[in-house]
Amino acid sequence: MFIYILLAIINGICIGISRSINGRLSINVGAFKASFWNHLVGFIFLTLLLVILGNFKVDHIAGAPLYSYLGGFLGVLFVAINSYVLPKIGGIMTILLVISGQMITGVLVEYKSGAALSTLLQFLGIAIIMLGVYVAKLSSLRREKN
Amino acid sequence: MNRTTDWLLAFAGGIILAVMINFNSLLAKHSTPSIASWVAHGAGAVVALFFVIIYARIFPSKRENSTQKAPLWAYFGGIPGALTVILAAITVNSSLALSGTLAFMLVGQVIFGIISDHFGLFGIAKRKFTLIDVFVIICILSGSVLLIFFRN
Repeated sequence: MFIYILLAIINGICIGISRSINGRLSINVGAFKASFWNHLVGFIFLTLLLVILGNFKVDHIAGAPLYSYLGGFLGVLFVAINSYVLPKIGGIMTILLVISGQMITGVLVEYKSGAALSTLLQFLGIAIIMLGVYVAKLSSLRREKN
Repeated sequence: MNRTTDWLLAFAGGIILAVMINFNSLLAKHSTPSIASWVAHGAGAVVALFFVIIYARIFPSKRENSTQKAPLWAYFGGIPGALTVILAAITVNSSLALSGTLAFMLVGQVIFGIISDHFGLFGIAKRKFTLIDVFVIICILSGSVLLIFFRN
């Protein structure tokens, strides 16, 4: 169990490293080029990895609906936006705002009416996240004034 | 652009990320998570190239600080990013399941964010950590954990 917890935490750190490196690149080459390099290098790396692991199973992918390929397009936008914003507002604030947007959207997209208790707790979750963002915004406004 | 716009952009990035994950999961159902990520990266590289070309056409004069060269390591952000899907595939299939994986990945991201701001890693400006930051982090993490573990 502990090793998997560690692995999941390391995974989060990998995400942070990747986004920071892309943010650094965008300072010199711009957000869209940073997004391009991220995807190209990731693609080459995954190609090598899949060949080495022998995991190339593409037999059923033709059955996937065409719109499921939109993920690649959204990924480009996400990396570009994240790279543009990160050098300006800092690592932790970028991460926290992205998490907030992601978690709230995730709940709304997947929302199914179910047990009252879990619906209540989901509302509470959204409210606590928004409170955090609000407090962060207040404190950053005060810092800008000083 | 002012800071509020940047904040809204970052939040919008999170919205895009959530929708992206839904599409990529759908693709993964028809293959494997790593194949889906491979396809998304390949398609993304082509789409990004289009964006780069179109952007250069619209703003031919606007060159980002191209006189200064980016360090070589700045081109390799795609590697830790691509590793993410492989690592997640391992932990999602363990006793952590999807919820636990998501929660601890958020923790890892926040740990990295704190460390990178504190030491100014990867060219980020150094920033002092305050008590308010701790409060904000606790709010956003605990709210997220509620959302992760109480899905209907």
